Amino acid sequence: MSQFVLDAFGDGFARRALLEAVMVGALCGAVGVHVLLRRLPFFTMALGHATFPGVVLAALLGISLFAGAAAFGAVVVVVVALLGARDRVDDTSAVGVTLSGAFALGVLLLSAQAGFSRDLTAYLVGSIVTVQPSDLVTTAVVGAAVLAVLAALHKELVLGAFDRGGLAALGYPVLVLDVVLLLVVEAVVVTSIPAVGTILAVALIVAPAATARLWTERLRATMALSAALGAASGVVGLAISLQWRVAAGATIVLVAAAMFAVSLVVAPRHGLLAHRASPVSGRA
Amino acid sequence: MSLFEPFTIPYMQRALVEVLVLGALAGAVGVLVVLRRLAFVGDALTHTVFPGIVIAHLLGRSILLGALAFGVLTAVLLTVLGGHRRVGNDTALAILLTSFFSLGVVLISRTRGFTADLTVFLFGRVLAIDRTDLVQTLAVAAVAAVVLAVLHKELVLRAFDPEAAAAMGYRTGRLDLALNLLIALVVVAAVEAVGTVLVIALIVVPAAAARLLTDRVGAMTALACLLGAAGGWLGLAVSYEVSVGYDLRLAAGATIVVVLVGLFGLAAAVAPLRRRWATRKGLGNPMGVPQ
Repeated sequence: MSQFVLDAFGDGFARRALLEAVMVGALCGAVGVHVLLRRLPFFTMALGHATFPGVVLAALLGISLFAGAAAFGAVVVVVVALLGARDRVDDTSAVGVTLSGAFALGVLLLSAQAGFSRDLTAYLVGSIVTVQPSDLVTTAVVGAAVLAVLAALHKELVLGAFDRGGLAALGYPVLVLDVVLLLVVEAVVVTSIPAVGTILAVALIVAPAATARLWTERLRATMALSAALGAASGVVGLAISLQWRVAAGATIVLVAAAMFAVSLVVAPRHGLLAHRASPVSGRA
Repeated sequence: MSLFEPFTIPYMQRALVEVLVLGALAGAVGVLVVLRRLAFVGDALTHTVFPGIVIAHLLGRSILLGALAFGVLTAVLLTVLGGHRRVGNDTALAILLTSFFSLGVVLISRTRGFTADLTVFLFGRVLAIDRTDLVQTLAVAAVAAVVLAVLHKELVLRAFDPEAAAAMGYRTGRLDLALNLLIALVVVAAVEAVGTVLVIALIVVPAAAARLLTDRVGAMTALACLLGAAGGWLGLAVSYEVSVGYDLRLAAGATIVVVLVGLFGLAAAVAPLRRRWATRKGLGNPMGVPQ
Protein backbone atom coordinates (compact mmCIF):
# COMPACT_ATOMS: atom_id res chain seq x y z
CA MET A 1 0.00 0.00 0.00
CA SER A 2 2.71 2.52 0.96
CA GLN A 3 4.65 1.71 -2.21
CA PHE A 4 1.46 2.22 -4.22
CA VAL A 5 0.88 5.58 -2.56
CA LEU A 6 4.50 6.69 -3.15
CA ASP A 7 4.33 5.67 -6.81
CA ALA A 8 1.11 7.53 -7.35
CA PHE A 9 2.54 10.78 -5.99
CA GLY A 10 5.77 10.83 -8.01
CA ASP A 11 5.08 14.00 -9.99
CA GLY A 12 5.04 17.65 -8.94
CA PHE A 13 1.35 18.16 -9.61
CA ALA A 14 0.53 14.99 -7.69
CA ARG A 15 2.56 16.18 -4.65
CA ARG A 16 0.69 19.48 -4.68
CA ALA A 17 -2.61 17.63 -4.96
CA LEU A 18 -1.59 15.38 -2.06
CA LEU A 19 -0.74 18.33 0.17
CA GLU A 20 -4.04 20.03 -0.70
CA ALA A 21 -6.02 16.83 -0.08
CA VAL A 22 -4.46 16.34 3.37
CA MET A 23 -5.02 19.96 4.41
CA VAL A 24 -8.59 20.20 3.08
CA GLY A 25 -9.51 16.78 4.47
CA ALA A 26 -8.23 17.59 7.96
CA LEU A 27 -9.85 21.04 7.96
CA CYS A 28 -13.25 19.74 6.79
CA GLY A 29 -13.09 16.90 9.30
CA ALA A 30 -12.41 19.27 12.22
CA VAL A 31 -15.21 21.69 11.30
CA GLY A 32 -17.58 18.82 10.45
CA VAL A 33 -18.04 17.88 14.11
CA HIS A 34 -19.56 21.31 14.80
CA VAL A 35 -21.72 21.05 11.66
CA LEU A 36 -23.15 17.75 12.92
CA LEU A 37 -23.66 18.96 16.50
CA ARG A 38 -25.70 21.90 15.21
CA ARG A 39 -27.50 19.90 12.50
CA LEU A 40 -26.20 22.12 9.73
CA PRO A 41 -25.56 19.66 6.86
CA PHE A 42 -28.34 21.06 4.67
CA PHE A 43 -27.19 24.60 5.36
CA THR A 44 -23.64 23.62 4.40
CA MET A 45 -24.97 22.12 1.20
CA ALA A 46 -26.84 25.35 0.46
CA LEU A 47 -23.72 27.42 1.13
CA GLY A 48 -21.81 25.36 -1.38
CA HIS A 49 -24.41 26.06 -4.06
CA ALA A 50 -25.01 29.62 -3.05
CA THR A 51 -21.40 30.76 -3.39
CA PHE A 52 -21.75 30.00 -7.09
CA PRO A 53 -23.06 33.39 -8.34
CA GLY A 54 -20.26 35.01 -6.35
CA VAL A 55 -17.69 32.94 -8.21
CA VAL A 56 -19.25 33.77 -11.58
CA LEU A 57 -19.44 37.49 -10.77
CA ALA A 58 -15.84 37.49 -9.56
CA ALA A 59 -14.74 35.78 -12.76
CA LEU A 60 -16.65 38.34 -14.86
CA LEU A 61 -15.20 41.27 -12.90
CA GLY A 62 -11.73 39.78 -12.85
CA ILE A 63 -11.36 39.80 -9.06
CA SER A 64 -10.38 36.94 -6.74
CA LEU A 65 -12.76 33.98 -6.90
CA PHE A 66 -12.27 33.45 -3.18
CA ALA A 67 -13.41 37.01 -2.45
CA GLY A 68 -16.49 36.61 -4.68
CA ALA A 69 -17.49 33.27 -3.17
CA ALA A 70 -16.90 34.46 0.39
CA ALA A 71 -18.87 37.67 -0.13
CA PHE A 72 -21.86 35.88 -1.66
CA GLY A 73 -21.75 33.20 1.02
CA ALA A 74 -21.98 35.91 3.67
CA VAL A 75 -25.04 37.36 1.91
CA VAL A 76 -26.64 33.91 1.95
CA VAL A 77 -25.96 33.49 5.68
CA VAL A 78 -27.92 36.71 6.27
CA VAL A 79 -30.79 35.83 3.87
CA VAL A 80 -31.30 32.38 5.40
CA ALA A 81 -31.23 33.86 8.90
CA LEU A 82 -33.81 36.52 7.96
CA LEU A 83 -36.13 34.17 6.02
CA GLY A 84 -35.95 31.54 8.74
CA ALA A 85 -36.93 34.14 11.34
CA ARG A 86 -40.35 34.63 9.63
CA ASP A 87 -42.95 32.49 11.32
CA ARG A 88 -44.35 31.09 8.08
CA VAL A 89 -41.09 29.97 6.48
CA ASP A 90 -39.36 27.14 8.31
CA ASP A 91 -35.57 26.86 8.16
CA THR A 92 -35.54 23.97 5.70
CA SER A 93 -37.75 25.74 3.16
CA ALA A 94 -35.75 28.95 3.61
CA VAL A 95 -32.56 27.07 2.83
CA GLY A 96 -34.22 25.30 -0.12
CA VAL A 97 -35.47 28.53 -1.68
CA THR A 98 -32.13 30.31 -1.14
CA LEU A 99 -30.17 27.35 -2.47
CA SER A 100 -32.04 26.95 -5.74
CA GLY A 101 -32.45 30.68 -6.30
CA ALA A 102 -28.79 31.53 -5.79
CA PHE A 103 -27.60 28.62 -7.88
CA ALA A 104 -29.95 29.48 -10.75
CA LEU A 105 -28.76 33.08 -10.61
CA GLY A 106 -25.20 31.83 -11.08
CA VAL A 107 -26.21 29.65 -14.03
CA LEU A 108 -28.08 32.56 -15.56
CA LEU A 109 -25.07 34.84 -15.28
CA LEU A 110 -22.85 32.16 -16.71
CA SER A 111 -25.17 31.18 -19.58
CA ALA A 112 -25.08 34.77 -20.81
CA GLN A 113 -21.33 34.22 -21.31
CA ALA A 114 -19.60 31.97 -23.78
CA GLY A 115 -17.54 28.94 -22.70
CA PHE A 116 -20.25 27.59 -20.48
CA SER A 117 -19.64 24.03 -19.36
CA ARG A 118 -15.90 23.66 -18.84
CA ASP A 119 -15.39 26.06 -15.92
CA LEU A 120 -18.64 25.00 -14.36
CA THR A 121 -17.65 21.37 -14.02
CA ALA A 122 -14.35 22.23 -12.33
CA TYR A 123 -16.28 24.39 -9.93
CA LEU A 124 -18.91 21.74 -9.17
CA VAL A 125 -16.81 18.63 -8.74
CA GLY A 126 -13.36 20.10 -8.13
CA SER A 127 -10.08 19.76 -9.93
CA ILE A 128 -7.49 18.90 -7.33
CA VAL A 129 -4.80 17.84 -9.78
CA THR A 130 -4.63 21.35 -11.24
CA VAL A 131 -4.26 22.97 -7.81
CA GLN A 132 -1.78 25.88 -7.86
CA PRO A 133 0.85 26.81 -5.24
CA SER A 134 -1.24 29.92 -4.51
CA ASP A 135 -4.25 27.68 -3.69
CA LEU A 136 -2.03 25.74 -1.28
CA VAL A 137 -1.02 28.94 0.49
CA THR A 138 -4.68 30.06 0.73
CA THR A 139 -5.71 26.70 2.14
CA ALA A 140 -2.89 26.78 4.70
CA VAL A 141 -3.67 30.33 5.84
CA VAL A 142 -7.46 29.85 6.02
CA GLY A 143 -6.96 26.49 7.68
CA ALA A 144 -4.70 27.93 10.37
CA ALA A 145 -7.15 30.77 11.02
CA VAL A 146 -10.15 28.41 11.21
CA LEU A 147 -8.38 26.00 13.56
CA ALA A 148 -7.29 28.94 15.75
CA VAL A 149 -10.90 30.19 16.01
CA LEU A 150 -12.21 26.68 16.73
CA ALA A 151 -9.57 26.15 19.44
CA ALA A 152 -10.11 29.57 21.03
CA LEU A 153 -13.91 29.29 21.11
CA HIS A 154 -14.13 25.53 21.63
CA LYS A 155 -15.87 25.65 25.01
CA GLU A 156 -18.37 28.33 23.97
CA LEU A 157 -19.24 26.68 20.64
CA VAL A 158 -19.79 23.27 22.23
CA LEU A 159 -21.93 24.72 25.00
CA GLY A 160 -23.92 26.62 22.36
CA ALA A 161 -24.55 23.40 20.45
CA PHE A 162 -25.85 21.52 23.49
CA ASP A 163 -27.46 24.22 25.61
CA ARG A 164 -28.16 27.58 24.01
CA GLY A 165 -30.14 28.76 27.00
CA GLY A 166 -27.24 27.99 29.31
CA LEU A 167 -24.84 29.88 27.07
CA ALA A 168 -27.09 32.94 27.04
CA ALA A 169 -27.57 32.74 30.81
CA LEU A 170 -23.79 32.77 31.26
CA GLY A 171 -23.74 36.10 29.45
CA TYR A 172 -22.22 35.03 26.14
CA PRO A 173 -23.44 36.75 22.94
CA VAL A 174 -25.25 33.73 21.44
CA LEU A 175 -26.08 35.33 18.10
CA VAL A 176 -22.50 36.51 17.53
CA LEU A 177 -21.18 33.03 18.28
CA ASP A 178 -23.73 31.54 15.83
CA VAL A 179 -22.64 33.89 13.09
CA VAL A 180 -18.95 33.20 13.83
CA LEU A 181 -19.56 29.47 13.45
CA LEU A 182 -21.52 29.93 10.21
CA LEU A 183 -18.73 32.10 8.84
CA VAL A 184 -16.14 29.46 9.81
CA VAL A 185 -18.18 26.83 7.93
CA GLU A 186 -18.42 29.20 4.97
CA ALA A 187 -14.63 29.77 4.98
CA VAL A 188 -14.02 26.02 4.95
CA VAL A 189 -16.51 25.42 2.10
CA VAL A 190 -14.96 28.18 -0.01
CA THR A 191 -11.45 26.87 0.67
CA SER A 192 -12.43 23.32 -0.33
CA ILE A 193 -13.93 24.30 -3.69
CA PRO A 194 -10.71 24.03 -5.78
CA ALA A 195 -10.08 20.55 -4.41
CA VAL A 196 -13.45 18.79 -4.27
CA GLY A 197 -15.91 21.31 -5.71
CA THR A 198 -18.97 22.86 -4.15
CA ILE A 199 -21.26 19.83 -4.13
CA LEU A 200 -18.74 17.43 -2.67
CA ALA A 201 -17.30 19.77 -0.04
CA VAL A 202 -20.35 18.88 2.05
CA ALA A 203 -19.38 15.21 1.93
CA LEU A 204 -15.89 15.87 3.22
CA ILE A 205 -17.35 17.96 6.04
CA VAL A 206 -20.11 15.55 7.08
CA ALA A 207 -18.86 12.01 6.40
CA PRO A 208 -15.60 11.95 8.46
CA ALA A 209 -17.35 13.62 11.39
CA ALA A 210 -20.28 11.18 11.26
CA THR A 211 -17.81 8.27 11.08
CA ALA A 212 -15.85 9.58 14.08
CA ARG A 213 -19.05 9.95 16.10
CA LEU A 214 -19.73 6.25 15.62
CA TRP A 215 -16.38 5.33 17.20
CA THR A 216 -16.02 7.66 20.15
CA GLU A 217 -18.16 9.57 22.63
CA ARG A 218 -15.64 12.22 23.66
CA LEU A 219 -15.75 15.44 21.70
CA ARG A 220 -12.04 16.23 21.46
CA ALA A 221 -11.32 12.66 20.40
CA THR A 222 -14.14 12.92 17.83
CA MET A 223 -12.60 16.05 16.34
CA ALA A 224 -9.09 14.58 16.18
CA LEU A 225 -10.38 11.34 14.67
CA SER A 226 -12.58 13.23 12.22
CA ALA A 227 -9.67 15.38 11.02
CA ALA A 228 -7.48 12.27 10.64
CA LEU A 229 -10.22 10.44 8.71
CA GLY A 230 -10.74 13.46 6.46
CA ALA A 231 -7.03 13.64 5.63
CA ALA A 232 -6.88 9.86 5.10
CA SER A 233 -9.86 9.98 2.69
CA GLY A 234 -8.01 12.68 0.77
CA VAL A 235 -4.82 10.64 0.43
CA VAL A 236 -6.44 7.28 -0.39
CA GLY A 237 -9.01 8.80 -2.75
CA LEU A 238 -6.36 10.75 -4.60
CA ALA A 239 -4.12 7.68 -4.95
CA ILE A 240 -7.00 5.61 -6.36
CA SER A 241 -8.02 8.36 -8.76
CA LEU A 242 -4.46 8.84 -10.07
CA GLN A 243 -4.01 5.09 -10.48
CA TRP A 244 -7.25 4.42 -12.36
CA ARG A 245 -7.77 7.86 -13.91
CA VAL A 246 -11.18 8.66 -12.49
CA ALA A 247 -12.44 11.99 -11.16
CA ALA A 248 -10.38 12.85 -8.05
CA GLY A 249 -12.87 14.84 -5.96
CA ALA A 250 -15.60 12.24 -6.38
CA THR A 251 -13.23 9.37 -5.51
CA ILE A 252 -12.18 11.14 -2.29
CA VAL A 253 -15.85 11.44 -1.34
CA LEU A 254 -16.50 7.78 -2.10
CA VAL A 255 -13.60 6.77 0.18
CA ALA A 256 -14.99 8.96 2.98
CA ALA A 257 -18.47 7.47 2.46
CA ALA A 258 -17.07 3.91 2.43
CA MET A 259 -15.38 4.55 5.80
CA PHE A 260 -18.74 5.69 7.13
CA ALA A 261 -20.60 2.68 5.71
CA VAL A 262 -18.10 0.21 7.21
CA SER A 263 -18.16 2.00 10.57
CA LEU A 264 -21.95 2.02 10.57
CA VAL A 265 -21.84 -1.78 10.50
CA VAL A 266 -18.83 -2.65 12.68
CA ALA A 267 -18.39 0.26 15.14
CA PRO A 268 -18.15 -1.18 18.68
CA ARG A 269 -21.00 0.65 20.45
CA HIS A 270 -23.14 2.28 17.80
CA GLY A 271 -22.64 -0.07 14.86
CA LEU A 272 -25.50 -2.16 13.51
CA LEU A 273 -23.73 -5.41 14.47
CA ALA A 274 -23.27 -4.24 18.07
CA HIS A 275 -26.95 -3.36 18.25
CA ARG A 276 -27.93 -6.76 17.00
CA ALA A 277 -25.52 -8.65 19.28
CA SER A 278 -26.48 -6.91 22.54
CA PRO A 279 -29.36 -4.50 22.16
CA VAL A 280 -29.21 -3.48 25.85
CA SER A 281 -25.57 -2.35 25.95
CA GLY A 282 -25.93 -0.86 22.51
CA ARG A 283 -28.63 1.45 23.73
CA ALA A 284 -26.84 2.45 26.94
CA MET B 1 -43.14 40.77 -24.54
CA SER B 2 -45.57 38.14 -25.69
CA LEU B 3 -46.69 35.25 -23.52
CA PHE B 4 -48.08 33.24 -26.43
CA GLU B 5 -46.13 34.04 -29.56
CA PRO B 6 -42.98 31.96 -28.72
CA PHE B 7 -45.12 28.84 -28.26
CA THR B 8 -46.09 28.56 -31.93
CA ILE B 9 -42.71 26.84 -32.47
CA PRO B 10 -42.95 23.03 -31.94
CA TYR B 11 -39.96 22.71 -29.57
CA MET B 12 -41.29 25.56 -27.45
CA GLN B 13 -44.71 23.86 -27.35
CA ARG B 14 -43.19 20.64 -26.08
CA ALA B 15 -41.16 22.57 -23.50
CA LEU B 16 -44.31 24.39 -22.39
CA VAL B 17 -46.33 21.18 -21.93
CA GLU B 18 -43.43 19.66 -20.01
CA VAL B 19 -43.02 22.56 -17.56
CA LEU B 20 -46.79 23.00 -17.09
CA VAL B 21 -47.25 19.33 -16.16
CA LEU B 22 -44.14 19.21 -13.99
CA GLY B 23 -44.86 22.56 -12.38
CA ALA B 24 -48.34 21.47 -11.32
CA LEU B 25 -47.24 18.02 -10.12
CA ALA B 26 -44.18 19.30 -8.27
CA GLY B 27 -46.30 22.02 -6.69
CA ALA B 28 -48.77 19.46 -5.31
CA VAL B 29 -46.05 17.16 -3.94
CA GLY B 30 -44.09 20.20 -2.76
CA VAL B 31 -46.87 21.15 -0.35
CA LEU B 32 -46.27 17.91 1.54
CA VAL B 33 -42.51 18.44 1.31
CA VAL B 34 -42.78 21.91 2.82
CA LEU B 35 -45.29 20.86 5.51
CA ARG B 36 -43.02 17.98 6.54
CA ARG B 37 -39.83 20.08 6.16
CA LEU B 38 -38.37 17.58 3.73
CA ALA B 39 -36.70 20.05 1.35
CA PHE B 40 -33.39 18.32 1.98
CA VAL B 41 -34.89 14.95 1.00
CA GLY B 42 -35.96 16.46 -2.32
CA ASP B 43 -32.50 17.88 -2.84
CA ALA B 44 -30.94 14.52 -1.98
CA LEU B 45 -33.15 12.62 -4.43
CA THR B 46 -32.27 14.95 -7.28
CA HIS B 47 -28.61 14.02 -6.75
CA THR B 48 -28.96 10.31 -5.98
CA VAL B 49 -30.70 9.43 -9.26
CA PHE B 50 -27.55 10.61 -11.07
CA PRO B 51 -25.61 7.27 -10.95
CA GLY B 52 -28.76 5.52 -12.25
CA ILE B 53 -28.82 7.87 -15.21
CA VAL B 54 -25.11 7.36 -15.87
CA ILE B 55 -25.31 3.55 -15.66
CA ALA B 56 -28.34 3.48 -17.97
CA HIS B 57 -26.51 5.80 -20.37
CA LEU B 58 -23.38 3.59 -20.35
CA LEU B 59 -25.39 0.38 -20.85
CA GLY B 60 -27.57 1.97 -23.53
CA ARG B 61 -30.74 1.29 -21.54
CA SER B 62 -33.64 3.60 -20.79
CA ILE B 63 -32.46 6.54 -18.71
CA LEU B 64 -35.86 6.75 -17.08
CA LEU B 65 -35.56 3.19 -15.76
CA GLY B 66 -32.06 3.84 -14.41
CA ALA B 67 -33.23 6.95 -12.60
CA LEU B 68 -36.30 5.13 -11.31
CA ALA B 69 -34.22 2.26 -9.89
CA PHE B 70 -31.90 4.60 -7.98
CA GLY B 71 -34.80 6.83 -6.92
CA VAL B 72 -36.59 3.87 -5.32
CA LEU B 73 -33.32 2.63 -3.76
CA THR B 74 -32.72 6.05 -2.20
CA ALA B 75 -36.27 6.35 -0.93
CA VAL B 76 -35.90 2.99 0.85
CA LEU B 77 -32.40 3.77 2.22
CA LEU B 78 -33.56 7.16 3.51
CA THR B 79 -36.50 5.63 5.34
CA VAL B 80 -34.22 2.98 6.93
CA LEU B 81 -31.13 5.12 7.73
CA GLY B 82 -33.22 7.95 9.19
CA GLY B 83 -34.12 5.68 12.11
CA HIS B 84 -30.53 5.19 13.39
CA ARG B 85 -30.07 6.90 16.75
CA ARG B 86 -26.48 8.09 16.46
CA VAL B 87 -26.73 9.14 12.80
CA GLY B 88 -29.03 12.14 12.42
CA ASN B 89 -31.50 12.27 9.57
CA ASP B 90 -29.78 15.10 7.74
CA THR B 91 -26.37 13.49 8.26
CA ALA B 92 -27.60 10.32 6.58
CA LEU B 93 -29.05 12.43 3.79
CA ALA B 94 -25.86 14.42 3.21
CA ILE B 95 -23.69 11.29 3.05
CA LEU B 96 -26.12 9.41 0.81
CA LEU B 97 -26.55 12.39 -1.49
CA THR B 98 -22.87 13.12 -1.95
CA SER B 99 -21.71 9.51 -2.21
CA PHE B 100 -24.32 8.57 -4.82
CA PHE B 101 -23.57 11.72 -6.76
CA SER B 102 -19.83 10.94 -6.56
CA LEU B 103 -20.46 7.43 -7.83
CA GLY B 104 -22.13 8.98 -10.87
CA VAL B 105 -19.27 11.43 -11.38
CA VAL B 106 -16.64 8.66 -11.09
CA LEU B 107 -18.49 6.46 -13.60
CA ILE B 108 -19.04 9.25 -16.08
CA SER B 109 -15.50 10.61 -15.74
CA ARG B 110 -14.33 7.46 -17.54
CA THR B 111 -16.22 8.47 -20.66
CA ARG B 112 -15.54 11.20 -23.14
CA GLY B 113 -17.73 14.28 -23.25
CA PHE B 114 -17.69 14.32 -19.44
CA THR B 115 -18.37 18.01 -18.86
CA ALA B 116 -21.15 18.29 -21.43
CA ASP B 117 -23.04 15.33 -19.91
CA LEU B 118 -22.72 16.71 -16.40
CA THR B 119 -24.02 20.10 -17.46
CA VAL B 120 -27.07 18.56 -19.13
CA PHE B 121 -27.82 16.57 -16.01
CA LEU B 122 -27.59 19.63 -13.79
CA PHE B 123 -29.43 22.11 -15.96
CA GLY B 124 -31.46 19.93 -18.27
CA ARG B 125 -32.26 20.57 -21.88
CA VAL B 126 -35.86 21.59 -21.70
CA LEU B 127 -35.73 23.07 -25.20
CA ALA B 128 -34.46 19.80 -26.70
CA ILE B 129 -36.99 17.28 -25.37
CA ASP B 130 -38.64 15.12 -28.01
CA ARG B 131 -42.01 13.39 -28.19
CA THR B 132 -40.74 10.23 -26.42
CA ASP B 133 -39.38 12.24 -23.48
CA LEU B 134 -42.68 14.01 -23.20
CA VAL B 135 -44.70 10.77 -23.21
CA GLN B 136 -42.40 9.26 -20.55
CA THR B 137 -42.73 12.33 -18.36
CA LEU B 138 -46.51 12.31 -18.71
CA ALA B 139 -46.70 8.61 -17.82
CA VAL B 140 -44.58 8.98 -14.67
CA ALA B 141 -46.43 12.14 -13.72
CA ALA B 142 -49.77 10.32 -14.11
CA VAL B 143 -48.64 7.53 -11.77
CA ALA B 144 -47.44 10.09 -9.21
CA ALA B 145 -50.71 12.02 -9.49
CA VAL B 146 -52.79 8.87 -8.88
CA VAL B 147 -50.70 7.90 -5.81
CA LEU B 148 -50.99 11.45 -4.50
CA ALA B 149 -54.76 11.53 -5.02
CA VAL B 150 -55.28 8.17 -3.28
CA LEU B 151 -53.03 8.88 -0.27
CA HIS B 152 -53.47 12.65 0.06
CA LYS B 153 -55.69 12.59 3.15
CA GLU B 154 -53.42 10.14 4.98
CA LEU B 155 -50.24 12.02 4.05
CA VAL B 156 -51.66 15.34 5.26
CA LEU B 157 -52.78 13.72 8.52
CA ARG B 158 -49.30 12.22 8.94
CA ALA B 159 -47.78 15.67 8.38
CA PHE B 160 -49.82 17.40 11.07
CA ASP B 161 -50.42 14.72 13.62
CA PRO B 162 -48.27 11.58 13.41
CA GLU B 163 -49.63 10.22 16.72
CA ALA B 164 -53.22 10.46 15.54
CA ALA B 165 -52.28 8.81 12.25
CA ALA B 166 -50.62 5.96 14.14
CA ALA B 167 -53.53 5.68 16.58
CA MET B 168 -55.97 5.42 13.69
CA GLY B 169 -54.06 2.38 12.50
CA TYR B 170 -52.07 3.89 9.65
CA ARG B 171 -48.53 2.61 9.33
CA THR B 172 -46.58 5.88 9.48
CA GLY B 173 -43.41 4.14 8.29
CA ARG B 174 -45.20 3.10 5.11
CA LEU B 175 -46.65 6.58 4.62
CA ASP B 176 -43.13 8.03 4.95
CA LEU B 177 -41.90 5.57 2.37
CA ALA B 178 -44.82 6.49 0.11
CA LEU B 179 -43.98 10.20 0.32
CA ASN B 180 -40.28 9.55 -0.34
CA LEU B 181 -41.30 7.46 -3.36
CA LEU B 182 -43.60 10.24 -4.57
CA ILE B 183 -40.76 12.76 -4.41
CA ALA B 184 -38.60 10.25 -6.24
CA LEU B 185 -41.23 9.91 -8.99
CA VAL B 186 -41.39 13.68 -9.49
CA VAL B 187 -37.61 13.85 -9.67
CA VAL B 188 -37.46 10.96 -12.15
CA ALA B 189 -40.19 12.46 -14.32
CA ALA B 190 -38.45 15.79 -14.42
CA VAL B 191 -34.73 15.26 -14.13
CA GLU B 192 -33.85 14.41 -17.71
CA ALA B 193 -35.81 17.29 -19.16
CA VAL B 194 -35.22 20.08 -16.73
CA GLY B 195 -32.15 19.14 -14.66
CA THR B 196 -31.63 18.66 -10.92
CA VAL B 197 -31.39 22.30 -9.94
CA LEU B 198 -34.75 23.09 -11.50
CA VAL B 199 -36.46 20.06 -9.96
CA ILE B 200 -35.65 21.07 -6.40
CA ALA B 201 -36.80 24.63 -7.14
CA LEU B 202 -40.09 23.38 -8.67
CA ILE B 203 -40.76 21.26 -5.58
CA VAL B 204 -39.85 23.72 -2.82
CA VAL B 205 -40.34 27.28 -4.08
CA PRO B 206 -44.04 27.30 -5.23
CA ALA B 207 -45.14 25.39 -2.13
CA ALA B 208 -43.18 27.71 0.19
CA ALA B 209 -44.75 30.72 -1.57
CA ALA B 210 -48.27 29.20 -1.28
CA ARG B 211 -47.61 28.56 2.41
CA LEU B 212 -47.09 32.30 2.85
CA LEU B 213 -50.43 33.09 1.24
CA THR B 214 -52.91 30.67 2.77
CA ASP B 215 -53.58 28.58 5.85
CA ARG B 216 -55.66 25.85 4.22
CA VAL B 217 -54.02 22.75 2.78
CA GLY B 218 -56.45 22.52 -0.15
CA ALA B 219 -55.96 26.16 -1.14
CA MET B 220 -52.22 25.82 -0.59
CA THR B 221 -52.06 22.84 -2.95
CA ALA B 222 -54.08 24.59 -5.66
CA LEU B 223 -51.97 27.72 -5.32
CA ALA B 224 -48.70 25.79 -5.41
CA CYS B 225 -49.77 23.96 -8.61
CA LEU B 226 -50.76 27.27 -10.16
CA LEU B 227 -47.56 29.06 -9.15
CA GLY B 228 -45.39 26.17 -10.35
CA ALA B 229 -47.07 26.09 -13.77
CA ALA B 230 -47.16 29.88 -14.08
CA GLY B 231 -43.47 30.16 -13.16
CA GLY B 232 -42.62 27.59 -15.82
CA TRP B 233 -44.61 29.40 -18.49
CA LEU B 234 -43.33 32.85 -17.60
CA GLY B 235 -39.74 31.63 -17.31
CA LEU B 236 -39.83 30.02 -20.77
CA ALA B 237 -41.35 33.15 -22.30
CA VAL B 238 -38.78 35.45 -20.66
CA SER B 239 -35.88 33.21 -21.62
CA TYR B 240 -37.09 33.08 -25.26
CA GLU B 241 -37.80 36.80 -25.46
CA VAL B 242 -34.41 37.86 -24.03
CA SER B 243 -32.48 35.28 -26.05
CA VAL B 244 -34.14 36.16 -29.36
CA GLY B 245 -34.94 39.82 -28.83
CA TYR B 246 -31.80 41.00 -27.04
CA ASP B 247 -29.28 38.39 -28.15
CA LEU B 248 -28.46 37.57 -24.51
CA ARG B 249 -28.66 33.80 -24.10
CA LEU B 250 -30.44 32.98 -20.85
CA ALA B 251 -30.57 29.27 -19.92
CA ALA B 252 -34.26 28.29 -19.93
CA GLY B 253 -34.17 26.14 -16.78
CA ALA B 254 -32.31 28.73 -14.73
CA THR B 255 -34.65 31.50 -15.91
CA ILE B 256 -37.65 29.48 -14.69
CA VAL B 257 -36.03 29.12 -11.25
CA VAL B 258 -35.29 32.83 -11.02
CA VAL B 259 -38.91 33.63 -11.99
CA LEU B 260 -40.17 31.19 -9.33
CA VAL B 261 -37.97 32.80 -6.68
CA GLY B 262 -39.28 36.19 -7.85
CA LEU B 263 -42.87 34.92 -7.30
CA PHE B 264 -41.81 33.72 -3.84
CA GLY B 265 -40.42 37.20 -3.09
CA LEU B 266 -43.73 38.71 -4.21
CA ALA B 267 -45.65 36.31 -1.95
CA ALA B 268 -43.38 37.22 0.97
CA ALA B 269 -44.06 40.90 0.30
CA VAL B 270 -47.88 40.62 0.18
CA ALA B 271 -48.21 38.01 2.96
CA PRO B 272 -48.27 40.58 5.82
CA LEU B 273 -51.02 42.58 4.02
CA ARG B 274 -53.11 39.46 3.51
CA ARG B 275 -52.76 38.45 7.13
CA ARG B 276 -53.87 41.87 8.32
CA TRP B 277 -56.91 41.64 6.03
CA ALA B 278 -57.77 38.14 7.24
CA THR B 279 -57.51 39.19 10.88
CA ARG B 280 -59.77 42.18 10.30
CA LYS B 281 -62.37 40.01 8.59
CA GLY B 282 -62.21 37.72 11.58
CA LEU B 283 -61.16 34.77 9.46
CA GLY B 284 -58.58 33.96 12.07
CA ASN B 285 -56.08 31.27 11.80
CA PRO B 286 -57.54 27.80 11.19
CA MET B 287 -54.20 26.00 11.45
CA GLY B 288 -53.41 27.62 14.77
CA VAL B 289 -50.09 28.93 13.56
CA PRO B 290 -48.70 31.58 15.94
CA GLN B 291 -48.74 34.90 14.08
